[in-house]
Amino acid sequence: MKVARTKRRPIRSEGPWAWLAAGSVALSLLMLGGLLLLIATRGLGHFWPAMVAQVEMADGRLLAGRAVRELPLEQSAGRERLYFTANRDLDGQAWHWLPVNDIVASETPQDLIVLERRRHGEFIGRLVALGDAESVREQQAREATWERLQARLATLQELRGERERLRREVLRPLIRRLDADPSDAQARQALAEANDRVRVLQEAMRGEVALLENVDGRRLVQPLEEVLRAWRPNAMSTVEKLGIWGRGVWRFLAEGPRDGNAAGGVWPAIFGTVLMVLLMSLLVTPFGVLAAIYLNEVAHQGRLTHLVRIAVRNLAGVPSIVYGVFGLGVFVYGIGGSLDEWFFNDALPSPTFGTGGLLWASLTLALLTLPVVIVATEEGLARIPVQQREGALALGATRLETLTRVVLPMAVPAMLTGVILAIARAAGEVAPLLLVGVAKLAPQVPVDGEFPFLHLERKFMHLGYHIYDTAFHGNDVQAAMPLVYATALLLVLVVLVLNLTAIFLRHYFRARHGVQPRP
Amino acid sequence: MIVAVLAIGVFLVLEVLPALLGGVFDPARIRLELTPMAWGTLKAALWAMLFAIPLALGAAIHSALFMSQRLRSRMKPTLEMMEALPGVVIGFVAGLVLAPWVERHLAGSLALLLVLPLGVLLAAAIWRRLPAVWRRHFSLSRAGLWLVPWLMLLVFATFSLAPGLEALLFDGSLRNWLDRELGLDYATRNAMIVGLAMGFAVMPSVYALAEDALSGVPSRLGEGAQALGATRWQTLWRVVLPAAAPGIFAAMMIGTGRAVGETMIVLMASGNTALMSLSPFEGMRTMAAGIAVELPEAVPGSEAYLLLILAALLLFLFTFLVNTLAEVVRSRLRRRYRWLDGAP
Repeated sequence: MKVARTKRRPIRSEGPWAWLAAGSVALSLLMLGGLLLLIATRGLGHFWPAMVAQVEMADGRLLAGRAVRELPLEQSAGRERLYFTANRDLDGQAWHWLPVNDIVASETPQDLIVLERRRHGEFIGRLVALGDAESVREQQAREATWERLQARLATLQELRGERERLRREVLRPLIRRLDADPSDAQARQALAEANDRVRVLQEAMRGEVALLENVDGRRLVQPLEEVLRAWRPNAMSTVEKLGIWGRGVWRFLAEGPRDGNAAGGVWPAIFGTVLMVLLMSLLVTPFGVLAAIYLNEVAHQGRLTHLVRIAVRNLAGVPSIVYGVFGLGVFVYGIGGSLDEWFFNDALPSPTFGTGGLLWASLTLALLTLPVVIVATEEGLARIPVQQREGALALGATRLETLTRVVLPMAVPAMLTGVILAIARAAGEVAPLLLVGVAKLAPQVPVDGEFPFLHLERKFMHLGYHIYDTAFHGNDVQAAMPLVYATALLLVLVVLVLNLTAIFLRHYFRARHGVQPRP
Repeated sequence: MIVAVLAIGVFLVLEVLPALLGGVFDPARIRLELTPMAWGTLKAALWAMLFAIPLALGAAIHSALFMSQRLRSRMKPTLEMMEALPGVVIGFVAGLVLAPWVERHLAGSLALLLVLPLGVLLAAAIWRRLPAVWRRHFSLSRAGLWLVPWLMLLVFATFSLAPGLEALLFDGSLRNWLDRELGLDYATRNAMIVGLAMGFAVMPSVYALAEDALSGVPSRLGEGAQALGATRWQTLWRVVLPAAAPGIFAAMMIGTGRAVGETMIVLMASGNTALMSLSPFEGMRTMAAGIAVELPEAVPGSEAYLLLILAALLLFLFTFLVNTLAEVVRSRLRRRYRWLDGAP
């Protein structure tokens, strides 16, 4: 390395272009920062239990909801504000645009509650009473009613968990046993019993209702069975809100989607993404590393290897959708179709492997990320000083021993870097998955207790596709937006953390060897 | 490895060729279906590159020539992270957040195109009036950082002033004015948004390659020019840039290849309308997006399926050619640098 420029120089004008160049650096940094900030704030803000305002309009209307945003009016002067008022079953819509000038009063009463429900989205209003469906009537002590509601919801939550557990651990295996052997009387008996127990649980959950009232006094009888959670945002302290926020984040990570992907969590998508990426790295690592070792250590460095290197770079530049087409044509229709004909003939015409699935998606992405691994590993191998190899050879090691004992251990961080970069690339790639096996909603995750445990032919959910699908094919995109932000944040975080690890590894590797690549 | 590259090409050709030769295709249908898609692809790439090239080259020039070594070693990973951002996320933000927002603040957004460069020049002019201590503190080599808050201020100022200007010059709505005076139809998801988003996605890779080419120029060339009294910018323009031109060309080619094949951003931000116009305010449909939307539903072997495979083949051939060209240029360039540097 030559020392480049002297430190002190008389300041001369560099002309406008140099400043514009500096400006373009600043602009790219600004855009990157802006994008990350936008996703982070919107994504995390979604889980915060925001205050609910009760708004009185000039024409006497009363509304309660969360203020979402404000825009200037199209025609006249003034601004209008968008409120998320929930109560889709009472009002027929969950959003209201209100002119700011017509708002007479806006306050945040402590007793407003928010209910998260299985159907019709959220409810915002007041709790009047709890009781049986037939005999529910006004009760005096609001505070006591609220506490009873909370206790009742906790019980329901437990019952729901119990039912889920029964279904998963008892019912499904029994049904499978019966499918395999319809004459199994013992299993039939056990199934009937288990069904009875589930029915008893259902009975215990049903029956009770909450009498609700929205702010302008219309009432609603809400079966408690469909209520998931209730909270009073205006009466909560910051610490309590933080608690709710944390639980919200957790539920987002750990639960499955509801309401046509517009609510709930993304657990199946996380699971699908991770599984697909793991499979892919299992496929790509041996091939990529071996190819790189061959190219760099074994093959004669001539015209042919030069051509191969160009080909590898080329492969990295081929659009991902073309890989998708290749995967669809060769893996899904070609190999998958033949597999179906040979092994799953009785299931035809409904395809088993002849449709998009986990295996084909991983294979396609493995092909897509192969150049990444090869290039990174090769770079690492090329950085190992020639003296190391020569030293080993001089001490009497064979070429194989040199390779396995000296060169490869030194190149491990580079391989890791390559694999991590490949994973980061694969985790964010969606276009090929559209063709080879991603699903809007996969009812079964590809791993379960049923032989062979890992179901390579099943479709799976993917974080990136979840974003695309929820944002563009949902019913109420407006309501699903916060969730899309949160999913995007999760995806970006995963990809960025992976990339940072790769950058750190590479830096560490360079610092340790402190050598320049072979010219 | 060659096998893998060939496999993709061979598969695509094998699927399409019999149909092409056997006359399954009606030439009129090819023209009808593929021309708008090809047009859209090129249009999207054009707008993306219009946005990405100045930004990437500017950033590359700045970081290769003006930045300190330390700052540069921080800058590169940052832009690498930018490259790693998934296309879906960029597409989502562009299509559902940026597009409606720009639609509402059209005048301000367009004004930014003018305000930002002028603002940077204004900053340069102010900088020359500053006392020497300050000038050293806010040096040009760190301008990439301290200009960020200045640009934020400019953006904020532009958007708060824009409605007034709009009312003054365009009767309150630039959108209506465009429609009335110039006959330009404004679609929410349009080529401008796609160009912006895809430019954002493509820019880091162009930057990385261009920066490599620029900083690879043997330093004795630049030092010689500076010793003869040239400013850094003169050195760049007369000495470094001509030497690195092939590398920069290769960077642009690879960037174009990326832009042509990018799927998700176009799919989410373009509106997917098969229009043939060059207007930045109208949508388009690209080959990649068309394949992604239609291929899963096409019956294998049918005409629609083959048409889409043909589109994939075209994409593959295009990127293949572009990348090979760029790769050849780059390896020539590396040899030239070694020669310039006095190596045998």
